[in-house]
Amino acid sequence: MIFSELYSAYYNTIAAILSRIIEGEHSEKELQKIVAERAFGESLLTIIPAFKNEKWQLVHGDMTTPLGHKPTMPLTTLQKRWLKAISLDPRVKLFGVEFPDLAKVEPLFTPEDYHVYDKYSDGDPFEDEEYVRQFRIVLEAIRNDSQIKFEMVNRNGKTMYIRCRPVRLEYSEKDDKFRLITAGWRAVSVINLAKMRNCTHYSGQKELDRFEWDRRQDTLTVKVRDERNALERFMLHFAHFEKQAEKLDENTYLVRINYAHDDEPEMVIRILSFGPMVEVLGPESFKKLVIEKLKKQKNCGLK
Amino acid sequence: MSSYSELIKNFEKIRAYMRDFYVYGFKSRDDYQSKSARSYDDERRRLESWLGDHMSFVRTPEGKNVFISIDSRTIRHNPFYHAWKAKSFTDGDVTLHFILFDILYDPSIKRTVSELLKEIDEKYLSGFKEPMVFDESTVRKKLKEYCEAGMVTAEKEGRRMYYRRTEGTDISGLNDVLHYFSEVAPCGVIGSYILDKEEADTDAFTFKHHYMTGAIDSGVLASLFTAMREKRAVTVSNISRRKDLPRRNRIIPLRVFISVQSGRQHLLAYLPEYNHFQSYRVDYLSNVKPEEPTPRFDELRAELDRMQAKMWGVGCKRSPGGEERLEHVEFTVRVEDNEEYIIRRLYREKRVGTVEKLDEHTYRFLAEVYDPSEMIPWIRTFICRIVQMNFSNRTQENKFKEDLAEMYRLYGIDKEGEK
Repeated sequence: MIFSELYSAYYNTIAAILSRIIEGEHSEKELQKIVAERAFGESLLTIIPAFKNEKWQLVHGDMTTPLGHKPTMPLTTLQKRWLKAISLDPRVKLFGVEFPDLAKVEPLFTPEDYHVYDKYSDGDPFEDEEYVRQFRIVLEAIRNDSQIKFEMVNRNGKTMYIRCRPVRLEYSEKDDKFRLITAGWRAVSVINLAKMRNCTHYSGQKELDRFEWDRRQDTLTVKVRDERNALERFMLHFAHFEKQAEKLDENTYLVRINYAHDDEPEMVIRILSFGPMVEVLGPESFKKLVIEKLKKQKNCGLK
Repeated sequence: MSSYSELIKNFEKIRAYMRDFYVYGFKSRDDYQSKSARSYDDERRRLESWLGDHMSFVRTPEGKNVFISIDSRTIRHNPFYHAWKAKSFTDGDVTLHFILFDILYDPSIKRTVSELLKEIDEKYLSGFKEPMVFDESTVRKKLKEYCEAGMVTAEKEGRRMYYRRTEGTDISGLNDVLHYFSEVAPCGVIGSYILDKEEADTDAFTFKHHYMTGAIDSGVLASLFTAMREKRAVTVSNISRRKDLPRRNRIIPLRVFISVQSGRQHLLAYLPEYNHFQSYRVDYLSNVKPEEPTPRFDELRAELDRMQAKMWGVGCKRSPGGEERLEHVEFTVRVEDNEEYIIRRLYREKRVGTVEKLDEHTYRFLAEVYDPSEMIPWIRTFICRIVQMNFSNRTQENKFKEDLAEMYRLYGIDKEGEK
């Protein structure tokens, strides 16, 4: 069963508290900190009081416990079945790790059981040896907070030699690609991993900043006409953005979406895909791009 | 009257609220008329407790609107997983759980129920003012639950049944794997459960175009996957957009179709009663009950494999007699110099269609599909370069063109003369 107290934030928090008590920590204030870090907003009102009033008979009033071992729990069959399922995913080879012995475990699902039908077909070559080698170098550098160097051919066909500090890897399920987010250089703050060549660790003395460049954010304002289930489709389609919606009348809604300015071309075509059900109100520059496209279309001679 | 708790017994109740607050976010308290005001207040308070800063409020003339607003690129873990970790339990459940696993702290240790009972009373509970009392059936029932969950094994020795914890699983090298797949794999919340056991958090990943709503449906999805693995039929409740009450259907689940562009997940299933393949929105399904295994599973899945070559999305029209009606879709785009990215787009996004190069600047897309209406949003993304269209379904083609004309009107360019 996927919804079970065995996986709950409360059980995990209680396990962490009991571990700290067994290590010798008996200060209520310190134990409350664990609750604040690991449980929910209102858990402070519940967990420690439940120990103190002996509702949960695991901790005595003096914050000692009759338990003799730090709580641990073996993986459940459900957890093993999920692990087995992901061990069958081709992308797992990127990580070069040994999975535990799951030979007797039935996977929760296999690649045959689901189909991602609208992923772009030019995703990263996850099984290419050189790609995998570079992926691991980048991952190691992120973990160690160290620098890497590599080559990349830019738009004009010129080879660039780049040294940077990798911060994180951003994966897009739609593009099926990893992008490396770096610190230190504005010009190369986002790099398609598949475009990197000859990537190695940098062991020199030159330092680089550790901060990420802020990306310019814009706010798009649109009016959505709720016909042909457009509202539901629109709100779900743009669900992964920071956004705010407001009802204007019976079937018209105003939606504001914050997006990264760099993604404007993509946003324009995503908005166009909703046809006349979505009208761009602002910003003016965005509206202009939509109008330009429509004007060009009008001149395409489509009868 | 029961008092409020931030934990819940039934996930289904909160599922609809989460979806509404996240996907829509413009509904006020009064819009939740089908539920009681107290229920709304409690669920809202729980979500605030679980999701903290991700919850926002806005005052409108209709009242206070609550919404969940998250830029998926800025977070490393799906916040909806918190809801899955809010299952309620009894005082006895939690006490017994930690004591049992403390006694059975290593797989080499085995105990009978009566040995466990004695140890629980004497070693663990005797120091409390009013010690809890667990009877044999309670402990036996709890051990049975743990056996079913795979955390404890029961072995018979002579006439006595011994219980011991199962062997541990070494996941120490899987930290990055778990961080990545708990966000991108189906039922990722289970990966998040495993991560909760890990101390070190060397999370290196963030996600773009990341639809987090699927997390809310993980329970339904896990039940459907289990049925597919066991080649079983299921009975499931389905809420239709057009009907108020959910309908119970007996179906054979065949495959889950996931969209990474619209945030939707569908189940493709076979309805034996109607000899019909149908797609169901996973977020509209609930209460999945496994039925008997079906000998037809492999045959039906092979049929779906064949049909998939004609499916742009999830539409799969087929008459009860097995007859199929395919629609021809064709459109031509003009590509300017330095617009190779448009050609790349056509090839990478064509799915079951084909692309033909007509000349240096003109490309044609062709497809035979069950449901051309599913392609319309995608074709619109080529607005500004569509020079020709040919749909076998003239109504669809005309609708596309009417929509274009309406967009010209919307932006005031309908009266502008053509070049």
